[in-house]
Amino acid sequence: MPLDDKNYLTVSELNALVRSLVEESYPEVTVLGEVSNFKRHTSGHLYFTLKDAEAQLRAVCFRSEAGRISFDLEDGMQVLATGRLTIYEAYGQYQIVVYSIEKAGVGALEAAFRQLRERLEKEGLFDPAHKKPLPAYPFRIAVVTSVTGAAVRDVVSTLRRRWPPVEILLFPVAVQGNQAAPSIVRALELLPRVGGLDLIILGRGGGSLEDLWAFNEETVARAIYDCPIPIVSGVGHETDFTISDFVADVRAATPTMAAEIAVPRVEDIRRRLDEIESRLIQFAEVGLELRGRHLSELVRSYALGRVRGRVEGAMQTLDYTVERLYRCAREMTRDRRNRVNETLARLDGLDARRVLSRGYAVCSDGGTGRIIRSSVAALDARDVRLTFSDGKVSAEVKEKVNGE
Amino acid sequence: MASRKARFEESMKRLEEIVRELETANLSLEESMAKFEEGVKLGKICRELLEKAEARIKVLVEDETGTLREEDAPYDPKD
Repeated sequence: MPLDDKNYLTVSELNALVRSLVEESYPEVTVLGEVSNFKRHTSGHLYFTLKDAEAQLRAVCFRSEAGRISFDLEDGMQVLATGRLTIYEAYGQYQIVVYSIEKAGVGALEAAFRQLRERLEKEGLFDPAHKKPLPAYPFRIAVVTSVTGAAVRDVVSTLRRRWPPVEILLFPVAVQGNQAAPSIVRALELLPRVGGLDLIILGRGGGSLEDLWAFNEETVARAIYDCPIPIVSGVGHETDFTISDFVADVRAATPTMAAEIAVPRVEDIRRRLDEIESRLIQFAEVGLELRGRHLSELVRSYALGRVRGRVEGAMQTLDYTVERLYRCAREMTRDRRNRVNETLARLDGLDARRVLSRGYAVCSDGGTGRIIRSSVAALDARDVRLTFSDGKVSAEVKEKVNGE
Repeated sequence: MASRKARFEESMKRLEEIVRELETANLSLEESMAKFEEGVKLGKICRELLEKAEARIKVLVEDETGTLREEDAPYDPKD
């Protein structure tokens, strides 16, 4: 240490000392990072920061070298910067003086992708336990994507074709470039405030790894993780996996497939409803048949003089049950309704025949065919029809018979 | 009022329950009929929810205060 007779260094001396150490140690280094705070000074020098998720590095590129860069630097761009390290003594700040810069190749991006994936996985962002189940029947769906691409058309038409009752809320975002990640994050922050939202579809069509990069941003990953509404992601093509896909509650291979996963097919649900109603009708039939058998037994017992009075009660119950079934049938679709009516007609006939064969006859109005249930109605009708188990006869009502 | 999703979900769930109960439980005719009637009503609710198609697509727009407005889509992406 060149302390001479002093036992201290001035700031200038220290910075000069560290600068020479740094410059000797790192005469050339290549670093991978994301460009941020990019500024082109009037002098022609470029100033920016290189960063990754956890650290930052000041960078400067002087005019002579800046002119040789074949593309326009912008914030958010992943680059490989080569240069020498130095200390800007006036601020005591270490920086890289860049003399060549290129867009990070696929290899470098993939490395960054792998690192982020490993880190977030370790942190638990992909934990299946955190994933929210998708609603079976979402009626209000937000679609977060660019409104100019083909993806939005595919998603919307797929949703409407499969599930016509769906209400679609489009949230336009940038899906590419340096505004993409912030606008997606903003969308995912705002959407939970929209009332009654059942599901979010996040997607964009295919593109290069660079094009899809927003979906590999840590901020987007965290926004997906924090969003309380279930998210289906569909980014790129079948073979593209993004960090967003890993964090989302469900990953779909493409935007169209995200829409297919998000909603059921209305025909499937209608068929299930048909099945359920068929089952219900079956149970009603069984119940009715049991009741009919019970009635027949009562009638037989009645004929043998074992019971009195209970036949009427049983008949009423049956009538009441049939009435209820008819009422229900009116609420059903035409096909179901016909089936219930057929069943009822069949059971009705079956039961009536059983009863009739025991010596009873049904009296109906000769004109209207309506069943006559009282002597007064019979006198009104005059012309009546009597139905026996083996056929019908017409008859004329003469007069009320007293004393019986 | 509960969302359409919630109403549909609950109705379907209850319908499946009713079928299961009718299949497994030893119910009186009266109980079966009550379940049958409930099932038919729920089926009707579900079908009505499916028929009511929300044809409109809306676009969400954030205003200066950071609140979202629902606006009718300026175009139909199906076209």
